[in-house]
Amino acid sequence: MKHEETAEFERRTQALLRDSVDRVDGATRSRLAQARSKALEPRSGRSGWLDFRYLAPAGAMAAAALLTVLIVAPRDDSNPVNDSGGGALYDLELLADADAYELTQEADLEFIEWAAAMSEEKAGT
Amino acid sequence: MRSSSIEASASREGVVLPATNDLTNRALNVFLADVELKAYRMANIALRHDADALDAVQDAMLQLSRRYAARPPSEWRPLFYRILENRIRDAQRRRTVRGRFMAWLPWNAAEADSAADPLDHAPDLTPGPAAHAEGAEIMVALQAALQRLPTRQRECFLLRSLEGMDVAETAAAMGCSDGSVKTHYSRAVQSLRAQLGEFWT
Repeated sequence: MKHEETAEFERRTQALLRDSVDRVDGATRSRLAQARSKALEPRSGRSGWLDFRYLAPAGAMAAAALLTVLIVAPRDDSNPVNDSGGGALYDLELLADADAYELTQEADLEFIEWAAAMSEEKAGT
Repeated sequence: MRSSSIEASASREGVVLPATNDLTNRALNVFLADVELKAYRMANIALRHDADALDAVQDAMLQLSRRYAARPPSEWRPLFYRILENRIRDAQRRRTVRGRFMAWLPWNAAEADSAADPLDHAPDLTPGPAAHAEGAEIMVALQAALQRLPTRQRECFLLRSLEGMDVAETAAAMGCSDGSVKTHYSRAVQSLRAQLGEFWT
């Protein structure tokens, strides 16, 4: 008896559910047919990772990371603005000119001053 | 599936076959046309949202077509419903996360408690005075009772009752043993009978 009741219940619920499927409206049926058609479309040759869906978030992440670095990274203000590169250029000249380099290493500054004074005297006479 | 049987099935169901000679594609078209409405109803009962249900079915179709079309057609049905159930679960998780996030936002803080579970805001499907036709009232009650079932029981009951799968197919679709399917189904029937008793007398 109990088994029969259960079987009857199952029959009725099944009939109700299938009836509800038959009563799905036309707009939904149409959208499902479109979805099916789209699912069966041949795939484009483009590889998956080049898809915009993947590139857009990756680009956004990269932009966000760059912005974070620009905002968070400490700025080096120790060098004066008008000296940027000038010092480096001078060092380069010293390295290229061996005599000038030796001159800067000379400990006897008095001799240099004397030589300079002599050359000025010569020019004066 | 043979070409002639596909065409016969397609014409019987009023399905327009795509202009392609690809036999697999045609067989898949017939298969999807056969399951799409039932799949939509299952998703709709689980998600209580038309657009979300459509999205879940569309995703399942795409996934089956792109990843499993080469598998034997006899495997398509359990595979399709397995994918569909995963999509339904994903949609439910997304809703929960979205609900939590929206509740966290300062302008939603006042409604945090009520917005935490979007399912609380789903329309009340219990039959009311507006449900005039007896059949419609019973259907509404059945749908509400199905939504109150645990996920696995609902899944099992719908696969067997609506899709008409046997125990083995249902087990393959749900990724569990035949014994589990029988248990889930039996409990679902018991629970539904207890909830719908008044409509069946």
